[in-house]
Amino acid sequence: MSGGYRQQPGSAGKVTRKDGKRVAGKQAFPPPGSGGSKPIMSPRDLDFIPETVGGREAQPAGSHVHDRVRTGTSVGKPTALVDSNAKVTGQAWYGDDVRLANEVIGKILRSPHHYARIKSIDTSKVEALPGVLAVATGADSPHRFGVLPVTKDEHAMAVEKVRHVGDLVASVAAVDEATAMEALNLFEVEYEVLEPVFDPKKGLEDVEEPIHWRGKYHLARTNVQKRVFQEFGDRSLVKEPLASSHGKWKMAGVHHGFTEPHAVVAHWDPNGRLQLYTPQQVPHYTHRALATVLDVPMHQINVIRTFVGGGFGGKSDPFPHEMCAAILSRKAGRPVRITFDREEVYWINRGRHPSHIEVKMTADDDARISGFDIDALIDGGGFASFGHVTSYYNGVLATAPYELGSFHYTGARVWTNKPASGAMRGHGAVNTRCAVEVGLDEMADQMKVDPMDLRLANLLPPHSRTISGFRITSNGMREALEKVREGSQWDTKFRQMPLGKGIGIGCGFFISGSGLPIHWDPNRFPHATVHIQVDMDGGVTVHTGAADIGQGSTTAVAQVVSEVLALPIEMIHVKSHESDTSPVDLGSYSSRVTFMNANAAIRAALEIREQLLKAAWEILGYHPNNLVLNDRRIYYKHDPAIGTSYLKALHKAQEDKGALIASGAYRSPPMGGVHKGAAAGLAPAYSFSAYVAEVDVDVETGMIKCTKVWAAHDCGKALNPLAVKGQIIGSCHMGLGQVLSEKMVYGRTGHLQNPNLLDYKIPSVHEMPHVEPIIIESCDPEGPFGAKEAGEGPLLPILPAVVNAVYDAIGIRLRDLPLTPDVVFKGIEKGMKAAGVDDPLDLLPPRVEHGELQPLLVKRAAEHKIRDQARQRSEDTSPYVNGVLFGFDPNIPLEDQVEGWRMATEPDPEQLAALGLAGKAWLKKEQRHMDGDE
Amino acid sequence: MMLMPPFTLHHPISVDAACELAAQLMASGESFDWVAGGTDLLPNYKWHINTKPHVISLARIEGTSTISASELGCMTRLADLTEANGVHPVIVQAASKVASSLIRTNATLGGNLCLDTRCFWYNQGEDWRRSIDWCHKADCGSGADCRVIPNQNTLCVATYQGDIAPTLMVLGASVHLIGPNGARTLPIQSFYQLDGMKKNVLEEGEFLLKVTLPEEAALRTGSYQKLRVRDSWDFPEAGVAASWIEGDPSTLVLATTALESIPRCHPEEVAAVLADGWKGAASIKALSSSLQKSVKPVNNTALPPRYRRSMVRVLAKRAVQGMVK
Repeated sequence: MSGGYRQQPGSAGKVTRKDGKRVAGKQAFPPPGSGGSKPIMSPRDLDFIPETVGGREAQPAGSHVHDRVRTGTSVGKPTALVDSNAKVTGQAWYGDDVRLANEVIGKILRSPHHYARIKSIDTSKVEALPGVLAVATGADSPHRFGVLPVTKDEHAMAVEKVRHVGDLVASVAAVDEATAMEALNLFEVEYEVLEPVFDPKKGLEDVEEPIHWRGKYHLARTNVQKRVFQEFGDRSLVKEPLASSHGKWKMAGVHHGFTEPHAVVAHWDPNGRLQLYTPQQVPHYTHRALATVLDVPMHQINVIRTFVGGGFGGKSDPFPHEMCAAILSRKAGRPVRITFDREEVYWINRGRHPSHIEVKMTADDDARISGFDIDALIDGGGFASFGHVTSYYNGVLATAPYELGSFHYTGARVWTNKPASGAMRGHGAVNTRCAVEVGLDEMADQMKVDPMDLRLANLLPPHSRTISGFRITSNGMREALEKVREGSQWDTKFRQMPLGKGIGIGCGFFISGSGLPIHWDPNRFPHATVHIQVDMDGGVTVHTGAADIGQGSTTAVAQVVSEVLALPIEMIHVKSHESDTSPVDLGSYSSRVTFMNANAAIRAALEIREQLLKAAWEILGYHPNNLVLNDRRIYYKHDPAIGTSYLKALHKAQEDKGALIASGAYRSPPMGGVHKGAAAGLAPAYSFSAYVAEVDVDVETGMIKCTKVWAAHDCGKALNPLAVKGQIIGSCHMGLGQVLSEKMVYGRTGHLQNPNLLDYKIPSVHEMPHVEPIIIESCDPEGPFGAKEAGEGPLLPILPAVVNAVYDAIGIRLRDLPLTPDVVFKGIEKGMKAAGVDDPLDLLPPRVEHGELQPLLVKRAAEHKIRDQARQRSEDTSPYVNGVLFGFDPNIPLEDQVEGWRMATEPDPEQLAALGLAGKAWLKKEQRHMDGDE
Repeated sequence: MMLMPPFTLHHPISVDAACELAAQLMASGESFDWVAGGTDLLPNYKWHINTKPHVISLARIEGTSTISASELGCMTRLADLTEANGVHPVIVQAASKVASSLIRTNATLGGNLCLDTRCFWYNQGEDWRRSIDWCHKADCGSGADCRVIPNQNTLCVATYQGDIAPTLMVLGASVHLIGPNGARTLPIQSFYQLDGMKKNVLEEGEFLLKVTLPEEAALRTGSYQKLRVRDSWDFPEAGVAASWIEGDPSTLVLATTALESIPRCHPEEVAAVLADGWKGAASIKALSSSLQKSVKPVNNTALPPRYRRSMVRVLAKRAVQGMVK
């Protein structure tokens, strides 16, 4: 073996001094540029190499296809996010940190009316103001855009109508902020005020002037933007139920409450290309929308994603202010910066939809869930945003983790004259999930069984299919329930604690990446692409379009590349800020990044690995099958002394061709049903979670304090346990806000009353319970190293867990979120009246005595546990579809076995009269079917 | 971004200089505001609410940060108040519940007592207030109506949401005011004047210099109960202070805050209940429900008025709980 690899000229000489220290520039190993601060290779970390490939990492859920490329370098190790230094030292550049030479300030004129037609805009006084460099109105871009291609209903600035207070009317760029603000007062706008709609129920009615007009597809003259009907399974099963729950919920709209307000800088460079700096979760959609709005080809635009100060779904739409900045900058010939104040953040909104949700559910004599019947009327505000998808998610994401006899869903999203709702962490699944989980609790009470056991005895197994056709792969639901039950000492607390103290359970189920790339056919283009480039210095440059919004996607990509190539993580440099250099990526939403992007990155890294091994083969003479990659070295597996440094192998591989380049892509397998809307909710994998929450309720004031949460989440495989725990704890905080105190308050005049962080009550550190994060690893066969999402799913269970715990504490079912003290107090007053007591301290907390079904459920759950383990570990590979629990054969299509097995996406005429609130949208006809009524 | 509107900041270093400056500005017809910690005034300025071209800071005036059992200067920072020795525990209790630790570091006693009244139709940005066509309290020359109780244009019903005033009331404190027209001292309950715009008796050019407490205050024990959604940041949605001399129920004094435009003492309600003599828990029950009946909150804070009113009963009960052992 040679004495290390030299990059500097000169003789080898001695590499160590008499005192044993290394001579500068004469390191034996590693040479400069090979990376890492450690001079010698660290031993293989067998604790992080799976047992099936000879390591010591336990694999209770079975082996994984990526096991053979594990090197024990990064995966599974708590890793500080790679951008954390930049953040904690204040060097991260967020939207408003961008400063370009000669920049000017843009300001937006906003509508003072809820709903009005713009008759005229006179900008002459604005233009005459010294210091004003550009003025823009809706007339500057008549092109419509929107995040979903099917519902493009936004303009850069209002064209014809303004649709909510705060809607964009015009914009101005001036030399400084004060001048720009002065200019706003000089616009002369003439409005014709129209009759606004605030109540989503009113949105179902025909009106003279619907907020948007969809031509022949418009539903009568209503404000319904989207209606959904889905019915699956055997509806006869719901007749004569043993137990049933019927809950009508009212959930207020909530906002993401991210720290960084929106900010954008637009600059047309000397070559006439637009450089747009924006904190975006989905730079690619902004890229597309900019091209449409500005009428320039996409390649003339470079979207630069700045650091994102929190997104949570609230920065995933292409935004009108981004268009405004670009238009103003083009007119002014100088860079234009627009930064929102908090009020503007609330006006652009895209938060969770205010919802009216009705859930009826039934259980049969064997405590099987014979039917879910869900109706969701969601308030979309002024624009469509992601609403088309939200309308589906409110129903379809309730089809697991339980096996259902039948499923019925009606949903409608209506436009109202309020800031637009959109996607927010747990998109569309959160509200219905809460309603469903509380319903299960109620049914458990009726059947005198423990709600834990009710759940455990009705779970879908791993590798199965939901009633709606979703393909479930790995499934850690059971383990999650068992872990929180044990951790919380559930069996000694539930229904046994004194008045005011309660414990509750809630579960969650969420997509790990939407199976449908919105803008293209998944069979033609991949979901995600990652490029890797390795040059002579040994550093690995990874190009990805994945947007790190604080969740750690850059770290995840760096980790998997580091793992595959056995290089320290500081040698991996992820470049993800610019659309010029990043491959197209769909961005950070639907919890897709780790799953899809890391998979693409693994594929690219594998290609590099192959080239390195081939070079090492040439150097060492051993076939790659007999070579081991470990910490900047490649060596013969039976004798680590026979090996070569990573750099040597790299340079060998580079001979004749220069830098190593590889590209990896991820595409999802074909899956899902063929019915209308089958793609909504379809994902290559799903996450599962179960939380137990403990609360203290002050029965005199109605104040709720959540004191402790046991939070188990199945993320497949925690690539970075530190980040997963952070996501779980953060999700608890966000979900607690929605369930306890956060709401967008629309007053009697329809104005948003609390567009600021004092009156919009995000929980403080005092309200934060101790959260015990429990990571469940079910090892997803298609996830990168087995990983699934951990960013959104962990939010779902906290809401029902708290609501159920409040019931356990005071014996009152509350279905009006958030559970602010006045709502709880009102409930307590009702409870006192019903119980005939004068003092709330005399209320009795609920108690339960298990009935005869309880042992039956425990037995069934135990049997299912054995079934699930075998399926999880692929010892049992027989097909399993929803319905097997009800005695159906999974090998024969269900419609052939059961007469009346439904798979409907439109209601039968005889069903119409019985549909719920949102279902009323099906009483209306589309314009094209109205035979000239209009 | 929120741009601070321009104003001239003055820094007098003595009370006399401050009064003189005020007199000068008044003589030249210039309007101005006093500022102490700035945690109330400056956020309102950023929202362009009733801004003035001049602001006189009290921060550099000597001797305004006194902290003792009998005297508290107007510039006393709330954080210092909570940590100093000798301050009455009920005051400490209230001061330590004001907003957040960050704000308490800067906020002052004087500022808290002179807090601007609050209302969700009023504490909003300029664009927002334009969208409701302004309101009575900041009508921007439009003569706008009150948005809380429409069709009345005489009274502003914005809510006073200070925590410390009620505790000073139940301890019998006096406020010392000074201005170009001289100094005056009055009991703190006479300091507040009904109407959300006028707020208190301060005349133009006058400011609150200090608070003094009678010796008897040291004999008193008591409690302050605050209702709020979060245990940090939030203004009180309702607050009840009580004090009494141990073993003598007839000395009980009760005051409420955050329920109306001014904080109030409730001598009549207490007298009516105590007229029949002290009956322990029964008296507490009677007291708390009569206090509940005596307040009339309106819908302009985070929690609905009906609930806030109901909570007065609970807060009052908890405030005087120490009287029965």
